Amino acid sequence: MLQCSHCLIEFPDREAVRDNIDGQERVFCCPGCDGIYRFIHSEGLDGFYGQRKWSETGIAAPFFDKEPDIKQFAEHVTECEPAPGTMESGTKACNEKQIDFYIDNIRCASCVWLTEKVLTKTEGVKFARVNYATHRAKIRWDPETVGLEKILRRIMSVGYVPKPYSESEGFMAQKAEADDLLVRFGTAGFLSSQLMIYSIALYAGYFQGIDASTKLILEFIAMALTVPVIFYSGMPLIRNTFSGLRRLHFSMDSLIVIGAGSAFIYSIYEMSSGGEVYFDTAAMIITLILLGRYLEAVAKGKASEAVERLIELAPKTAVKLVWSADAGNMAGNMARNIERTIVPLASIVTGDTLEVKPGERVPLDGMVLDGESEVDEALLTGESKPVLKRRGSSVVGGSINLYGTFSFKVTKTGKDTFLAGIIRAVENAQARKTRIQAFADKVVGIFVPAITAISFLTFTAYMLKGAALHHSLMTAVSVLVIACPCSLGLATPIAVMMFAAAASSRGILIRGGEVIENAGGLKHVLLDKTGTITLGRPELKETVVVDSAIDKEYIVSLTASVECLSEHSLGRALCRAAGHAVNDPKFRVSEFRAIPGKGVEGLVDGKKVTIGNRALMAERLIRPSDMEAVEDKVRRFEIQGDTVIFVGWDNRLRAWMIVSDMIRNEAAETVAALKNMQCSVAVVSGDNRATTASIASQVGIDTSFAGALPEDKKDYIARLQKDGLKVMMVGDGINDAPAITEASVGVAMGKGTDIAIESADVVLTRSDLRLVPYFIRLAGKTSTIIKTNIFWSFFYNVVAIPLAVAGLLHPIVAAGAMAASSLFVVANSLRIKKYAEGKILCGP
Amino acid sequence: MWTIGFLIFLSLVLGIGAWLFFVWSVKSGQYDDPEGPKYRMLEDEEDENNSTKKQ
Repeated sequence: MLQCSHCLIEFPDREAVRDNIDGQERVFCCPGCDGIYRFIHSEGLDGFYGQRKWSETGIAAPFFDKEPDIKQFAEHVTECEPAPGTMESGTKACNEKQIDFYIDNIRCASCVWLTEKVLTKTEGVKFARVNYATHRAKIRWDPETVGLEKILRRIMSVGYVPKPYSESEGFMAQKAEADDLLVRFGTAGFLSSQLMIYSIALYAGYFQGIDASTKLILEFIAMALTVPVIFYSGMPLIRNTFSGLRRLHFSMDSLIVIGAGSAFIYSIYEMSSGGEVYFDTAAMIITLILLGRYLEAVAKGKASEAVERLIELAPKTAVKLVWSADAGNMAGNMARNIERTIVPLASIVTGDTLEVKPGERVPLDGMVLDGESEVDEALLTGESKPVLKRRGSSVVGGSINLYGTFSFKVTKTGKDTFLAGIIRAVENAQARKTRIQAFADKVVGIFVPAITAISFLTFTAYMLKGAALHHSLMTAVSVLVIACPCSLGLATPIAVMMFAAAASSRGILIRGGEVIENAGGLKHVLLDKTGTITLGRPELKETVVVDSAIDKEYIVSLTASVECLSEHSLGRALCRAAGHAVNDPKFRVSEFRAIPGKGVEGLVDGKKVTIGNRALMAERLIRPSDMEAVEDKVRRFEIQGDTVIFVGWDNRLRAWMIVSDMIRNEAAETVAALKNMQCSVAVVSGDNRATTASIASQVGIDTSFAGALPEDKKDYIARLQKDGLKVMMVGDGINDAPAITEASVGVAMGKGTDIAIESADVVLTRSDLRLVPYFIRLAGKTSTIIKTNIFWSFFYNVVAIPLAVAGLLHPIVAAGAMAASSLFVVANSLRIKKYAEGKILCGP
Repeated sequence: MWTIGFLIFLSLVLGIGAWLFFVWSVKSGQYDDPEGPKYRMLEDEEDENNSTKKQ
């Protein structure tokens, strides 16, 4: 893996864009970054690279298939429909083909520009468009001039990776719903604005006098405009109300429908008797709630789109090994007659042999047959160190193969795998999770029966007083008309939208409004260890030189130059530590050799350097002069969970290096901030007790829960929540997923595994822990604003109820209440934006 | 009276036209990529030597 000189993203060597800038070779992840680097350099602004303090890059770099499989794309190809507007071809069938797919590795606008240009310059490509927001490409081409394969290769030639794309069903339904809402809201909004013209004419007529026939015409037009608003735009609300009524359940929809419906019926009655009409109120109530619904759908859609992008889109396949029949008895010849085929994961049965290459995920559970490698199981178990796998070892599906190729026999498939067990636990937790009822719904549940009662009492009172039936009835209905707060539909969504916009600019994605209200009263925050509190990858912590004659920097450069050739995660840590010093020709390495599970060797600067663990040192007879003293110190670090690597040559130990999974820089201040907010903080980890406790104490956490299986983490949260406490779980691994689902607020790190991201309510796209207290604080504030919004949206209408009871209600009062409360709700919600712009962490 | 009727008729016709335009814009995906246009407008059209003009 190389690191982009501009954006620091890590990427495989073969993707590299190399450029020689003023005599120094630089590598970039994309031509866009190269261009920007050149620009910054040519402007003499290199200081930028020294000044920026990035410890993490922005977007998780997903790994991808080595070669695009044409077959996977073929099924997505469609005969193109004649382009809209190009009628000159008449009824002639279109002879172009069309495909939609996702392009990976696109980071910025220049990437989109480049891919589009490359495609449109390809002969035979008729149309190419890449969506900036979703990174999806739509391509139409002439199959007689150019083939799909060439198109895909052209994209790959500039370093981007096309991937077959099919939207998940849920996502498509969500998008269709948002589009439907947009049409309904647009129609309602449009009709309401037309309606307002006639309403104002009617208001003017009320004050200045208007002749009865003109008034009737205006009223009739107003009614005609209101009918589609209620019966087309408001149809989903009406449907929900009737299905809710059957269960005697009053939701926001029922309140809206009661309000708009009674206003409509009342107006039709008044038209016939020469009274005032409330068509504008009826239409506006529905328009505003649809606006709220649409805002909600857009915010949700944006979040789920971003989440879909975080989740790997790689097709679920595996490489299956099949031995040709004639080679069965000749063990020596076997390797030559192996056939490798890429097969879908679902077709694999127990007993099949699969091959896993470095960097790939182990597809299923099994037992290693051949080859040796180390496997990263941190995401599954929380164990922070790579685990050595050789013939006979068992491997777990979902773990990542670090550097050797090996084949293994599948022992478990489908529902029996470790991974499937976790997915089941997630599903169980999801099914049991009680959705906290939104505050607005709780209020409505009380309010609807209350106004119905008031309306009924009004009717009875008027009847007892001896008023005419129609008069009593209409006064009672007017109570229902004014009681319906039209800005109620806006109160929550607009606040949620402001929150989502502010949060996403900081790198927080929320997947629903409920989570905001849940985060209000958080009492416990649980953090996972590996990958959450720590970076989840090893870094060089310290170098201890044994041979005092040698310079420390020299040792680091020497070690790094050898380790840079290694694919091992520990090797990469040492390589990173030396930076650019390795480019020095003095440190050119020859005779490099990796010894799986032990270390590496190489000839550098005239020395045969051996770097590795204790076992390798013993094998090569490399010993320190004072064995006891070194062993003593080394032990101390090993107990803490650090890995010690020894460096030596010519039978003498020269230095040892401590490599450990580094704690995130901001972890300690985050914990302090959380404690400051009266939250108790604890660590839950699958790693061993000593390592967990050591990390916990370093960041200032007192409670740690080590050696936890995925189910244990979940149960731990369930126990805390049983007492009615709200718990937040922050994690990144597969093993955290059940706990993330169970928690009142589940947070996943953006670099985490798909399943953790999928089960979370909140995703941190920037892996910055300080976002956790920031989120809690902002959510608390937003939750307060939602409550005040709801209060004020009721306020003006409730104040006007006595007028209705007294029979003095006029449409202008209703319109005034509507305008006042809507303005208040919008203005109040804007405060969230201002609040969100503050510092990420408040001072203690 | 006739004037009012005519004006009302006119406003409704214009209104329905605008509404149909709106429905068309949603259906034809005009709202699908709100990000793109702001970049595309800065692109130079320098493709005099390729066949993409037709699109």
